[in-house]
Amino acid sequence: MSLAKPYDGAAIANRWRMRKFIADYGVYLALLALLLAATVLTPKLYDVNTIAVVMRQASQLGIVAIGQTMILLVAGLDLSVGGIFLMTSIVVADVTNGRDDLVIPAILISLALGALVGLGNGALVTKRRVPPFVATLGMLVLVKGATQAYTKGVPGGFVPDILGIVNQSWFVLSIPLALWLGLNAFFIFVLRRTSYGRKVYAVGSNSEAARLSGISVDAIRISVYVLGSCLAVVSGVVLTGYVGYVDRFIGTGLELDSIAAAIVGGTAFVGGRGGLLGTIAGVLIIQLLSTMALLMGLDIEVQFIIKGLVILGAVTLYSLASVEE
Amino acid sequence: MFRKLICGLFVLCLLLSASIVSIGQGDGMITFEITQEMIDASPYLQSVIPRLNEEYDTSEFAKDPPYRIALAAQGTSNAWSALFDAHAFWYVEHLGEDVISELLYGDAQGKADIQVPQVEDLLAQEPDALILVPMGAAALSAPVERAMMQGVPVVLCASAVETDNFVTEVGTNLYMAGANLAQWLIDTVGVDGDFLMMTGIPGTSTSDIMEEGALAVFDSYGIEMIDKQPGFWSVAEGKKIMETWLAQHGDEVDGIWSGGAQMVQGMISAYEDAEMAIPPIAGGEMQNGFLRSAIEHGFEFYAWMYPNAMITICLDAAIQILQGEPTPRFIDFVDTMPEARPFTDAEAEDYYRPRWSDDVHGPVTMPDEKLAELGFLVEESG
Repeated sequence: MSLAKPYDGAAIANRWRMRKFIADYGVYLALLALLLAATVLTPKLYDVNTIAVVMRQASQLGIVAIGQTMILLVAGLDLSVGGIFLMTSIVVADVTNGRDDLVIPAILISLALGALVGLGNGALVTKRRVPPFVATLGMLVLVKGATQAYTKGVPGGFVPDILGIVNQSWFVLSIPLALWLGLNAFFIFVLRRTSYGRKVYAVGSNSEAARLSGISVDAIRISVYVLGSCLAVVSGVVLTGYVGYVDRFIGTGLELDSIAAAIVGGTAFVGGRGGLLGTIAGVLIIQLLSTMALLMGLDIEVQFIIKGLVILGAVTLYSLASVEE
Repeated sequence: MFRKLICGLFVLCLLLSASIVSIGQGDGMITFEITQEMIDASPYLQSVIPRLNEEYDTSEFAKDPPYRIALAAQGTSNAWSALFDAHAFWYVEHLGEDVISELLYGDAQGKADIQVPQVEDLLAQEPDALILVPMGAAALSAPVERAMMQGVPVVLCASAVETDNFVTEVGTNLYMAGANLAQWLIDTVGVDGDFLMMTGIPGTSTSDIMEEGALAVFDSYGIEMIDKQPGFWSVAEGKKIMETWLAQHGDEVDGIWSGGAQMVQGMISAYEDAEMAIPPIAGGEMQNGFLRSAIEHGFEFYAWMYPNAMITICLDAAIQILQGEPTPRFIDFVDTMPEARPFTDAEAEDYYRPRWSDDVHGPVTMPDEKLAELGFLVEESG
């Protein structure tokens, strides 16, 4: 004879609260755990110089991750940012040819081109109903092909010296870090305190409901893609100054790392849930993992495995929490 | 019993010393001796060494000019390959239509998966010979075998495949190149030095073979690296890794082995930001951007060369085969291009060309006008 398990409302509620807590704060706990582990495994991480390096490198990823998070919030995705880094680098070197006084026009041209790419992505996704993965992958190939056709495979020109300022650190503060924090503050305000931000979440949560409530869904989606591309241009300028050279590998992998940072930070792949604070933690986790792996002298294969496990772990955790909801 | 053991050891030592094989990298200033033990451990050396003294009887391929030659190149992926292609087209034009009537060209965009079907397409056009820059040693082995079966002689240019069924390979002993860089570093710094090692892209034969040669030398001195990481032949990656290494090891670093000049540019930038003195670096190249930085920062380096102009030697080899002349199975470009020998910081000014853009890998055998047409000649930045 078997007895039915008695209904225990309190236990279910407790379990739900626990999972909700993990979904809401898991990324910060993971970051804390990583920092604690570093005190034992890689104490060098806490040197001022190392922190400055980590923050400077995290900023390059962080700036593009802001745009990626916003695109994910409207249930999108942007792979084309990988092409935008290279395009920006080429435009900056080509337009300025090393002249500091031409940096501003070069950045403006890059932003205009970046906005055009974002517009193309947004239009394909909204007007032609092309899945974001396909649309932005196509755009990535197109942008890379166009840059290659323009340069004939040989990017020329010189990067202006003034962009080398992104390599300077004062204690742990650097220009890229200030830029990353400033852009985060601005976009957190936009997402939380403005009607535009509320519309972004509404479109991502339920686009049909958003449309019925009078929100121009397509306009919001397109604008987010344009913002994402422009932020990729900003990141591209920082990267160009960092490298000081038009490197054909510039920003390689950042497109996927930026998606990973947003996902690890709790932004849902299906849109409507997540935010930039979580992404900041996600970016720091990904950067800390890379730096700690290097400090520990781990092989590249092990580094990839660890990164993959962290991403899979985060996605599993969030999916468990969302099932419970 | 003890005496027998001593005698045995003595005989073993004699055998080992007798089995030492010396295969230097052309006129390189460093010559490292390769032992039988190293050969046994390296499939690359096992493939190259027997071919050093072999010739291929090419009478079966003999025919009258002009020739139609297929070039399956790395293609539009970086400045090295852009100059490689430019050298190819210039040299064909230079030889004239009565020697090469057509150069059938395939652009692999640096990828093996694109190159494999491309080689099939080129072979379908029935060329007289195939010059292949293999994008993957394993992936391109079968297409090479098929070409040879089809009666199209294959010249491997700048890289290798996993089969020995081809006519000749033009390149250099990459194992020795890596080993020589390591030997210079040890000679310069001393065996007690603390070394770092940055390799190219893991899995690519050029990078892996150079690394294998370098590690054999370091191991022979009992030297253990502080760390070894791949820099993916990227300035950005090189800098990122170097920044972290500097934070971790700082002044401890006595010398660095690098599998490419691009990564050294990143290292220099990291040292510059950290305001630290740059230690001796083995792994420069005759790449103008690297030389510009090296002269500006003044540090000890050892550079090797992997000239894109070697395609002219590959074309000459293809013509030699089609003329039915016996052809060496391994052609070291240093033997026919003596200027492509290794050099040190003492000669940096001699190799630097102020009018070349940073991307140019020398030595260049084309006239300056051709470089200008391609945008490789620049005005100095204002």
